[in-house]
Amino acid sequence: MNRRLLAGLALLGLLVLLACLGALTVDLDDARPLSADVAQPPSWDNPLGTDTAGRDLAAVLVVGTLLTAKVGLLAGLIGIAVGTTLAFLAAYHGGWVDRVISFAVDVLLTVPGLLVLVVIASAWPGQMTTTLMALVIALLAWREPTRQIRAQVLVMREAGYVRMARLSGQGSLAIIFQEMMPNLMPYLGAALVSSVSAAILASVGLEALGLGPRDEPTLGMTIYWMISEGAFLRGLWWWIVEPVTILVALFVGMYLVVIGLDEFANPRLRSLK
Amino acid sequence: MSVLEIDNLHVGYELAAGTLSAVRDLSLSLAAGERLGLVGESGSGKTTTALAVMGLLRAPGRVLGGQIRLDGQDLVGLDDRAFAALRLARVAYVPQGAMNALNPVLRVSDSITHALRDHGAPADANRIADLLAQVGLGADVARRFPHELSGGMKQRVCIAIAISLGPRLIIADEPTSALDVVTQKQVMATLRQAQDRLGSAMILIGHDMGLMAQCVDRVAVMRDGLLVEEGPVRRVFHAPEAPYTAELIRSVPVIGQDRRAGTAAPAAAADLLRFDGVEMRYGKSLFGPPPAPALHKLDLVLPDAPRILSIVGQSGSGKTTIGSIALGLLAPSAGRVLWRGQPLAATPPQTFRREVQAVFQDPYSTFNPFYRVAHALSVPLRRFGLATGDAARALMEESCRAVGLDPSLLDRFAHQLSGGQRQRLMVARALMLRPRLLVADEPVSMVDASMRAAILDLLVDLRDRYGISVLYITHDLATAWRVGDDILVLERGHVVEQGDPDQVLRAPSHQYTRLLLDSIPMPDPDRPWSTAA
Repeated sequence: MNRRLLAGLALLGLLVLLACLGALTVDLDDARPLSADVAQPPSWDNPLGTDTAGRDLAAVLVVGTLLTAKVGLLAGLIGIAVGTTLAFLAAYHGGWVDRVISFAVDVLLTVPGLLVLVVIASAWPGQMTTTLMALVIALLAWREPTRQIRAQVLVMREAGYVRMARLSGQGSLAIIFQEMMPNLMPYLGAALVSSVSAAILASVGLEALGLGPRDEPTLGMTIYWMISEGAFLRGLWWWIVEPVTILVALFVGMYLVVIGLDEFANPRLRSLK
Repeated sequence: MSVLEIDNLHVGYELAAGTLSAVRDLSLSLAAGERLGLVGESGSGKTTTALAVMGLLRAPGRVLGGQIRLDGQDLVGLDDRAFAALRLARVAYVPQGAMNALNPVLRVSDSITHALRDHGAPADANRIADLLAQVGLGADVARRFPHELSGGMKQRVCIAIAISLGPRLIIADEPTSALDVVTQKQVMATLRQAQDRLGSAMILIGHDMGLMAQCVDRVAVMRDGLLVEEGPVRRVFHAPEAPYTAELIRSVPVIGQDRRAGTAAPAAAADLLRFDGVEMRYGKSLFGPPPAPALHKLDLVLPDAPRILSIVGQSGSGKTTIGSIALGLLAPSAGRVLWRGQPLAATPPQTFRREVQAVFQDPYSTFNPFYRVAHALSVPLRRFGLATGDAARALMEESCRAVGLDPSLLDRFAHQLSGGQRQRLMVARALMLRPRLLVADEPVSMVDASMRAAILDLLVDLRDRYGISVLYITHDLATAWRVGDDILVLERGHVVEQGDPDQVLRAPSHQYTRLLLDSIPMPDPDRPWSTAA
């Protein structure tokens, strides 16, 4: 086990633990506006303070972390599932299928993602939900996984054991799922985490621009309200520090896990130690 | 005065579990102009010794004792800068994989210039042309990139760099193991000439006793980090002292000795496999002429009787293409392939798959690293509906014993087995499925010399005891002669000669066959070989 992977898993585990503890001890209904006095610093009643709409920030952060994780996981999983499927189609089938898929990925990778997401997301003004947003983000989340996994499959397809499997009478599906997939697992794990990480970044970006779900207190929406209500000018420090700390912990944790898994999946990095 | 003196050298790898000795009590000395062959199988410590001489041991590897003196100067304990100044200038290295030794983005002239400039030597066009001329390359090669050169040319460029500063000692680490026999002979001749001209000493590292007999003055045999035997090449080959040395010499196949031919095929036998005018072209070009065919109108018949057909050729001759077509992994561009009288396309895939099996060249990639090696044997049993569960296990263990392997190896992972063990397992796998034809594509070229004969004998066993025909694909005429009932010599996709190996190889009618024959290194120090290039 390597230290980066452990540190990353510990950081993410801590966030999950805090969210679970919070869900048990805090009344989550207090995440709605007008649940408490407005703009109060941390106190006994509201241990993390309240915002200008009277939301209890402790409840907001617990709900927000879970909602943000939901958006990231949903979009990331769809991205990896679609990406892996396309990658295997392209690399294993080859020919024109490969050319079409690779061309689409090459072209779409040059498109600035957030710009497209802004255009698409603004088609639902005021009706955005976290699920819808995850789907919108998933529209572009398959590009990197497709390219990366295609390259891995291309290498693996020429491996001696794949040729041997064909001689053993295994069909394409058996070769993909029994021979190639197990060797791809650490790599898929790393790709999933980086895909989730990219999806969360995209969701926070959309929300900070005000295109997020107005009725759901995600971490990104908390940032949006905090900016638009002038928390900086009014010196409401707790409203700024708390969501930013959680986002930083989330991203650093996922980054460490990706680096750690990469070392696991890539023997060349392992031997450099 | 000796150029290199090694006294009681001890090199070890310091691991958490303790120190692992790679080389112990090694003493050697080498005079100017002398060629020493350092022979051993994988893990014998020969390359570790070379790395220690050049100061290239990486942690956790370390010189734990002894002395290495170059022209009287002790090298043990020198710092990295002193070693960097010494390398190339006084000790030059010719690497094993010339394919990867040259920087792909540098022209040949730049590669040479960099090496010279690092040591403060002048590098102008004349000097570079002169160096290239010394290794038999034209001045135009200087402007080319590595990918524009053949393997032999790249290795010559590496030699040109190695001799550029007139080193006292040249260390060549299996310089020709990636080259075919014809190129190997030319490159070795170039290396010897360059070394003779400089008067420097040379260490040739390798595992091929045949090559040693043809190239060096003295031989040192290493095994498990210890020096087993050392002496003048004629003495070692004519009267080896250590049994291990004798075993290594015996393992070199020689044409004319110990043939394992089978019985003649019945005249009326039907065809097992037939190629009718098979052609293969790789790739298509939109513009310009079509690519040259890898196989040119090939006819081939394998009778339905246990036979071994040896297909011999240099790299690029199309021999592996024949194997892939016979396995049904590749469809020919033109012509017909008949399996037991039926077109291949009309044969039911599951039947054909079971009847034609293979052993491939690279024993390191043929096992899926994720599974224990039993997986590779149990999958075909299940797929072809032959056996499952305990019955499958019993079959697997039985065939392991048949090839001389301990059945408990089945529960290991591939990286825990040696190359020879993996190839034996592959033969066991083929044996278990009782195919009618086995395609063996260079099955021993990546296996240690002492294991080669045993694996080739297994192929003969398949034929004689189990009635399996074998398509033995190789670049090595001697082994082709040893096991083959018929032989087919390929040159650039054309069959230049075919027939009974005794006739073809003892009285070759085609000059290409003669060229191949002359290029084989043989364990006979008195045969003129690399001097007559």
